[in-house]
Amino acid sequence: MEILGLAIVIVLILVATIFVVRFLVLKSPTDYRKGFVSSELASNMLNTFLKTAAKDCSQLTITELLQDCSQARSITCDNEDDSCKHTESIAKNVFTQTLDKWNMQYEFLAYTDPKSPLIKLGKPCRAEKRSKIFPIPITTATMYTKLDICG
Amino acid sequence: MKKAQIQIGETIAVLFVFFILIIIGFVFYVNVIKSNIDIEKEELSQLRSVGISQRIMFLPEVQCSEDNIIIDNCIDILKLEYAQSVMKENEIYYYDLLEFSDVSVLQVYPDEAKWSLYSRKTDDFSSRFVTNVPVSLYNPATRKHGFGILTIETLFK
Repeated sequence: MEILGLAIVIVLILVATIFVVRFLVLKSPTDYRKGFVSSELASNMLNTFLKTAAKDCSQLTITELLQDCSQARSITCDNEDDSCKHTESIAKNVFTQTLDKWNMQYEFLAYTDPKSPLIKLGKPCRAEKRSKIFPIPITTATMYTKLDICG
Repeated sequence: MKKAQIQIGETIAVLFVFFILIIIGFVFYVNVIKSNIDIEKEELSQLRSVGISQRIMFLPEVQCSEDNIIIDNCIDILKLEYAQSVMKENEIYYYDLLEFSDVSVLQVYPDEAKWSLYSRKTDDFSSRFVTNVPVSLYNPATRKHGFGILTIETLFK
């Protein structure tokens, strides 16, 4: 009878220990920075990129180059690239020095029709992502630039 | 040995085991509390790091403005060059705002350039966070924007 009492006490202590370990000891800190960093990153990256002036293309902004890229493609830059090619090379340069350097997966798209994008960089995110879409007005419709940052 | 002596021996043994269990429980409880304090300290450091990052992003000393209208996520290059010396001369004032941190701006496009805005580091830190924020670098002379990265490294004891 006494042994039974001891066994019950030990079982209760074990249950309490498992409970404490599960909810208190194995508790990991909430990552408050992650939310701030990823939300700032996607929107700032796209906003800043679209405002940037292209040095070899009459100092036109990326927005202006994208507008031309989706329409007449009449702009030819100093290195003989058209607006689409030049924007793509600037985007590649910028993303290599930032997102690639920080080991972040991303997908950058510029499109009027999402099925056939004018510019596509990076790989599609498989799971969680932070997305930012920026509409750019053009004569016929609206074109969009989209940046997904994975994770 | 008398029966009473055996019972006293039993009681002492039971008390001994009881106190051992109490000590083990207390050590376990202290460790749990310590680990919870560490977690809270880490979370607090993260929040302080986010606060410092936001303070820097909206620092009037470097922020762009046009006709007195502030432009978000934009750093004026001319202001930046002057702010470097101002922040060095008034280090104590900026320490209240930015604590132990290292703030630098790197221009990625069109040309590479780097400015160190504030640097006050400590070797005796328990947590370190690096925040990279893309910012537009405005050149008022040409009225054109470049692409830059504001790097904020925060250190906490």
